[in-house]
Amino acid sequence: MRAFEDVAVGDELPVLHRVATAEDMKAYADVSGDQNPLHQDEAFARSVGFGGIIAHGMFTMGHMAACIIAWSGGDPATVLQLSAQFRAPVFMGERIDAGGRVRKLDAEARTATLETWVSVERDGTTEWPIKRGAATVRLG
Amino acid sequence: MNPAAEGTTYPDMPFVVEPERVGGFREVFGLAHGVPPTFLTAAEFTVLPTIVADPRLDVDFTRVVHGSQEYTFARAPREGERLTIKARLESVRVRAGTGFVTITIDLVDEAGDHVATCRSSMVERGDV
Repeated sequence: MRAFEDVAVGDELPVLHRVATAEDMKAYADVSGDQNPLHQDEAFARSVGFGGIIAHGMFTMGHMAACIIAWSGGDPATVLQLSAQFRAPVFMGERIDAGGRVRKLDAEARTATLETWVSVERDGTTEWPIKRGAATVRLG
Repeated sequence: MNPAAEGTTYPDMPFVVEPERVGGFREVFGLAHGVPPTFLTAAEFTVLPTIVADPRLDVDFTRVVHGSQEYTFARAPREGERLTIKARLESVRVRAGTGFVTITIDLVDEAGDHVATCRSSMVERGDV
């Protein structure tokens, strides 16, 4: 577990990259139970107005959680609170970058409050599948 | 979507934190051990068919996208444990043909202690 004394407000979490693939969507659908065709069926996704298959929002949030867990020392139980607003779709083959910053420290509870996000570079601009994510993490 | 469904509570449902499924989740996200916080989406999808089939709420799930999601933990779920899902419709709104529903589920352990709360906001898009 990351030590409270080793964390300062403003610290940045190392960015965690991954490319979203159709194989990831299938694997995620099978373990989560979310079999919405929007995430696996190209023709369906287009029929409801998207340019192609989009990632589950929860796949993107799960990636954001992995970034937070890696920073906190690897134990998922350190995450006490986690939230996300889904702002933009993620298409297959796109690289998503999860990151965050320490906003607040609570010395009594020995916790850090993080602002977190997931971004994607698309056609020369930065899109934010998750913009104002947040997490509370227990420190050692 | 029908705003009158706001406040609806659903019958308790069991949810087992199946080690094999947890392992599958860890694999997808490259985690070494523990129960990933977003694993609780599996509990949400356990109760979702009941909510989608609720004629009073009247939601078209094929038009639904995920707006936001929040998890709060009293403690981390443990692999293999049996939890109880308590689901309710915290809010149901319709604005300009677009429906907004917030589903809140509490997970309680066998001792009756609160483990986690999941809050999921869904948006039902109008005609596309």
